[in-house]
Amino acid sequence: MEGPPSDATLLVGVAERDIGAFRTLYERHAGWLALRLARRCNDSELVADAVQDTFVAMWQKPRSFRGDGDVAAWLWGIAIRRLVSRIRRRTDIAAAFGISETVPAAEDEVLLSVEYGDLGAALARLSPEMRAVIQAVVLDGLSAKEAAQLLNVPVSSVKTRLFRARAQLRATLAEGLS
Amino acid sequence: MTGWHVDDETLRRYVERIDSVAEGASVEQHVLRCERCRARVNTAAAAADLAVVDLDAVWDRTRGAIEVPRPSVFERLLTAVGVPSDEARIVAVASAFHGVWLVGVATVIAFAALAAKIGGTGELWFVLAVAPVAPCLLVAVSYDWRWDPALEPEMATPYPVLRLVLLRTIAVLALALPAVLLLGLLVPGQPPFVWLLPAVGFVAVVLAASTWINPLNAATTVSAAWFVAVWLTRRAYSPTEVLEARTQVAFLVLAAASFCVFVVRGHHLTQLRPRG
Amino acid sequence: MNGSLISLRGVGRSFGATQALADVDLDLGPGVIGLLGPNGAGKTTLLRLLATALPPSRGEVRVLGRDVEVPAQRTEIRRRLGYLPQEVGFPRGFTAFAFVDYIALLKEWADPAVRHAEVRRVLNLVGLSHATTKRIRAMSGGQRRRVALAQALLGSPPVLILDEPTTGVDPEQRVTLRTVLAELARTSIVVLSTHQTEDVAALCERVVVLDQGRVRYDGAVTDLVRRAAGRVWLADQPDPAATVSWRTGTGRYRNVAAQARDGVQHVEPSLEDAYLLLRADRSGTGMVTR
Repeated sequence: MEGPPSDATLLVGVAERDIGAFRTLYERHAGWLALRLARRCNDSELVADAVQDTFVAMWQKPRSFRGDGDVAAWLWGIAIRRLVSRIRRRTDIAAAFGISETVPAAEDEVLLSVEYGDLGAALARLSPEMRAVIQAVVLDGLSAKEAAQLLNVPVSSVKTRLFRARAQLRATLAEGLS
Repeated sequence: MTGWHVDDETLRRYVERIDSVAEGASVEQHVLRCERCRARVNTAAAAADLAVVDLDAVWDRTRGAIEVPRPSVFERLLTAVGVPSDEARIVAVASAFHGVWLVGVATVIAFAALAAKIGGTGELWFVLAVAPVAPCLLVAVSYDWRWDPALEPEMATPYPVLRLVLLRTIAVLALALPAVLLLGLLVPGQPPFVWLLPAVGFVAVVLAASTWINPLNAATTVSAAWFVAVWLTRRAYSPTEVLEARTQVAFLVLAAASFCVFVVRGHHLTQLRPRG
Repeated sequence: MNGSLISLRGVGRSFGATQALADVDLDLGPGVIGLLGPNGAGKTTLLRLLATALPPSRGEVRVLGRDVEVPAQRTEIRRRLGYLPQEVGFPRGFTAFAFVDYIALLKEWADPAVRHAEVRRVLNLVGLSHATTKRIRAMSGGQRRRVALAQALLGSPPVLILDEPTTGVDPEQRVTLRTVLAELARTSIVVLSTHQTEDVAALCERVVVLDQGRVRYDGAVTDLVRRAAGRVWLADQPDPAATVSWRTGTGRYRNVAAQARDGVQHVEPSLEDAYLLLRADRSGTGMVTR
């Protein structure tokens, strides 16, 4: 017989309103999602709300998963944005200005590649504020505006810190290579 | 995929949140793609008693959020005007509020208004014949047992049927009377409110009659009688004769009397009448 | 009379010229009471009278000591009643949860949290915990039947009136439902009609057989079965002396005869044998016991 159903198969079940399939997906993903969200936000109540929002969103629009890539990655994309919007609702930041701007990804791919010098050491030398910005934008794929809401700082600060962090990382890595 | 997996020590540090940024980043990127390590993160987080949130409690809330039906547009409309949400639900279940009927009745009224506009006063009798009976037809549909698929289980509950019928009637009137008024504005010659009393009177007659016969039978009988009355008046006098002050008083008396009959005989509604 | 939870005295019900039920006297106590009879025997009419859905034309029906014809007492009965009609329709677009929740609202479950928990409990009882969010119109016949049954179980009422609860339900689920009903019967009176004699054999101590609106048998299931003793046998061929015979799973023929028969391989009679004999013996008048 075939093994347990894949996430994508279960998602089809969810689209057919099968709460059993939904429960299985919850068991597979709620744990790591909650843990990863908790690393971004210290308020466990907000994390719990974001987990709930994520799965409710999945229930309501299971077909928004387009079938390319992993269900896990898709869920994370929902979860981190739900967390951001929960935080926004809580802090009620007037984020009126600030253009949502996606950061060019190619450069970040290079930054993330492990063969490229001692990235770990380079990251460790960043200040906590700059590290948080790198984490939000580069690792979690948030826009500058979303990162600003997650970290509760102005968008302009995110942009400056991101620029400085990149420069510093590049310099440290270049140092290590030569 | 690559044969690389998160080792136990890294996993422990990740779960306990004492890892470095780079380490955490690679765990997180890997976990998105590796089912096995995902499961290990889940188990480790749960076992180490480091669970940041009570996942069972979150599950209960999530389940509640998806199971409990979301109120329909009509339901929200009712709650907005002050109907308690439970009763809004009970009222909104009626098939009369399921689109088709509303659209049907609205179409008839619009058609009648159009006829009046195009044909001038010569065709006014048609509007006169249709508009005042539209609300009573809708009311009948809102509680006629043949249109209520779940009637038998509903009937075996202690919920007061009289209250249910009245609530649904009020809901229908709230929807239909403005339409009737609007129609009255379009039709020349009479102030719009003269249309209201006949409409209300017919609704009351249908309520009263439904304690003997099925509401829809009552409503169709009333409608047919009204149609004939308007037709006959049309031959003899001007068509709007039926809306004169004298008849207005008659409608008022009719409405009051019928309503009393309905309240007194209301308990007959609480059981099936298979040969009604 | 004393100790009976449901009593009928000279009860009749007519629809126009048709007499659906005539002169029924019954006293029903706790436990599961099975109602058997052919189509049109009056089973549904009788259950509707007990469920206060239909007024009797003649006679008196009392449930839990209350008169079904007095409006205030009727409401009191309904507060303690679970009723599964023979046919249940569902409002368009409703999920299983939404439907049972709606009936729970009508049954005066005001607190949403408590009500939702109860709705989940009864849907779980009928084995639908995985389908609560499914639209009822997309369900199979057996699933729909179980949704309808779930609403009757709300609040574990002391009186349960079930009109063919197992129709369309698959064999596995039927066994589960029997367990649920047997459990409920410890605290409630359950009156159920069925076409399945196995349901009655498995669940009921008492059986009432109706035919043409009259009670043809009322008594213990074991007593009814005992009447068929010595009248049921297995043979390689259908026996011409038998009233009815049919092929069994082993390929042999089960013969059931009105007269006791010797010199054959008798087997233990089932309720079905006894019921068929009762049906065959329609002229008999001495069958009503008690």
